[in-house]
Amino acid sequence: MDAELPLTSLREGESGVVTSIKPRGRGRYGGVGLGLQRRLLDMGLTPGTKVVVVKSSPFGGPLEVQVRGSRLAIGRGVAERIYVKVER
Amino acid sequence: MTNPKKLTIALAGNANVGKSVIFNHLTGLHQHIGNWPGKTVERAEGTLHFKGYEIDVIDLPGIYSLSTFSMEELISREYIVSEKPDLVVNVVDASLLERCLFFTVQLMELETPMIVALNQVDIASRKGIKIDHEKLSEMLGVPVVPTVATKGKGIYELLEAAVSAIEDGKAKPHEIRYGKEVEEKIESLSKMISGVGFRYPARWTAIKLLEGDRDVEADVLRLAPEVVSRARELAQEIERLHGHSCFTVMASERYNIASCIAREVQVVTPSAKLAIEDRLHNLTTHKVLGYVVMLGVMTSLFYAVFVFGDYTSTLLSYLLQSLEPAFEAVLGHGELKEIIFGGVFESIFAGIAIALPYLVPFYFMLYALEDSGYLSRVAFLMDSAMHKIGLHGKAFIPMILSYGCNVPACLACRIMETERERILATFVVTLIPCAARSVIILGLVGRFIGVEVALAIYALDLVVVLLLGRIAFKVMPGEPTGLIMEMHEYRMPHIKTVASQTWFRVTEYAKMALPLIVFSGLLIKSIEVLGLLRAISSAMSPVTTAWLGLPPEAGISLVFGVLRKELALVMLASLLGTSNFGSVLTPLQMIVFTIVMLFYVPCVATIAALVKELGWKKAALITVFEVIFAVLLGGAVLRALSFLGLR
Repeated sequence: MDAELPLTSLREGESGVVTSIKPRGRGRYGGVGLGLQRRLLDMGLTPGTKVVVVKSSPFGGPLEVQVRGSRLAIGRGVAERIYVKVER
Repeated sequence: MTNPKKLTIALAGNANVGKSVIFNHLTGLHQHIGNWPGKTVERAEGTLHFKGYEIDVIDLPGIYSLSTFSMEELISREYIVSEKPDLVVNVVDASLLERCLFFTVQLMELETPMIVALNQVDIASRKGIKIDHEKLSEMLGVPVVPTVATKGKGIYELLEAAVSAIEDGKAKPHEIRYGKEVEEKIESLSKMISGVGFRYPARWTAIKLLEGDRDVEADVLRLAPEVVSRARELAQEIERLHGHSCFTVMASERYNIASCIAREVQVVTPSAKLAIEDRLHNLTTHKVLGYVVMLGVMTSLFYAVFVFGDYTSTLLSYLLQSLEPAFEAVLGHGELKEIIFGGVFESIFAGIAIALPYLVPFYFMLYALEDSGYLSRVAFLMDSAMHKIGLHGKAFIPMILSYGCNVPACLACRIMETERERILATFVVTLIPCAARSVIILGLVGRFIGVEVALAIYALDLVVVLLLGRIAFKVMPGEPTGLIMEMHEYRMPHIKTVASQTWFRVTEYAKMALPLIVFSGLLIKSIEVLGLLRAISSAMSPVTTAWLGLPPEAGISLVFGVLRKELALVMLASLLGTSNFGSVLTPLQMIVFTIVMLFYVPCVATIAALVKELGWKKAALITVFEVIFAVLLGGAVLRALSFLGLR
């Protein structure tokens, strides 16, 4: 499987490799402007980086991910714009 | 250097790497916290003496990058470039080396003299990470000192290294080189730039131009527009080549450099784990148990604050009462004594006796929770709920603060990233009943009607917060931002740092609120002594009596409630001639009074905080809106409840 999927479609415990961050989404939970795209890069979510989804909260809650050894909380709207190649 | 005995050192690094702990070790109590000129970003500064030098230490805000995404980043970068500190101490978390080095690389690009404090090596080694700091130093070209700031380890060595690095000029970082295609473009651009004579280093300017940094672009555009257009061409070339935006490519390459260095200098034993910390993390972010724990923590926090506050507050009040005879002996019983004692001293004491006993423990516990890492878990849990009003999880933290006092809560809204969110959060926060308003809710409605009605008013408040928050979120232009937040490992809070943060926060509050409290007290007393109360109450009667159905005396205490909400009940009692409100007010009147009190502007100190944070216009807008809203809601509730037959 090497389809490109938004990070939010990963189940807890699954991981993927970042392919791109699609800006200017207007999802239900808030989108990603250019500034936030940079912020994600600064936090280490550059293309090619491995991301592990540790937790995916119910009811539109945020995701907990492991990136470059750090633990990040990412809002669902932001996570919807992060596209990954799933590693299964 | 103008004076050889004076040095300036700036601390820079990511958030939560122990920067403020190091700052506290270095400067002790010789520090002051203010704002960067014209900005709402905190500036912590302190001095120390070492080997005959007077060293000024600046604690720059905790940031992840030196782009212009946030005010903090812009300020840090401007400071380093324009003020040129003698040395930048880059604090790095040894357990998160790669991520921290991403920032280090950017500091190196700024070509500032620097050294690295490799902090939290104890946590790193528990995670199974061993770092060869000498090799790291060799690769970066600057001294690296391992430290465990929470235990004070390595701080002296750090200071020694800092001073000798300045003396010997050993702190010149190596040049960071990118991949071939990008590197060529940086070089050709920086050649163009070095001819112009720009205030930033040429190579750094070239990198920022390629990244499309608006601030640098605007600066260069004025001096050499051809450089900017060339940079845009080159950036497009890179974009075509890599299929990503140029700033994505640059960030990726920079992270590659950071991860190369990290891999070279660290050895990781993968089996090691922080078992207790991990378990605690899983519990506190659990989708069910997490909320149970949160409820428990918050309840005990408030309970502890109120028990402690109540006790010390009573103690301080006794002290005040025992002073009154002394004033009578000097000033007699006349109006002068009333104004000076009743106006000035009682106000100061009320400020001290009411605010401080609650504020100090509240701040202390909240900072301890923050330092331990718990508040970021709370923000994680509350993210989805906060999105209903257009905010994200982090906004929940000022909201908790707000139940204590609105003033620090307004100041705490600085943690929100964008202007839009800051305004929204600040507005919402002023609608939450602070301790003073809780006194009215519980002391009037709770005591004379029933606790369940008091709870209903709290519930009504939450509904209003949600509704108004949602309307404000829809009305305000711009898009909501999502949550991006690091949750660092749980750790024992560093008590000294927590205590000093509490101390500076409380002094900040005192400086802002005490003068206003004294002024208000003086004003109220003078009006009372001059016998102007009746005139004011009859002027207000169309609103207070006709629309809200309150006795005229209650109207007066409503008007002056804006100055001192915690004294509104006391004032009402003295105006009505009794503190047995049940005999003079109907339950309906009590409810209306409390609701109006609850929603119209918190108090002058909060207005001052609003002005400080948002400026005059927005502060005035929020104030006027809340007054009108409170009066309308009060009248509506009166009519609705009396229609239902309540008197």
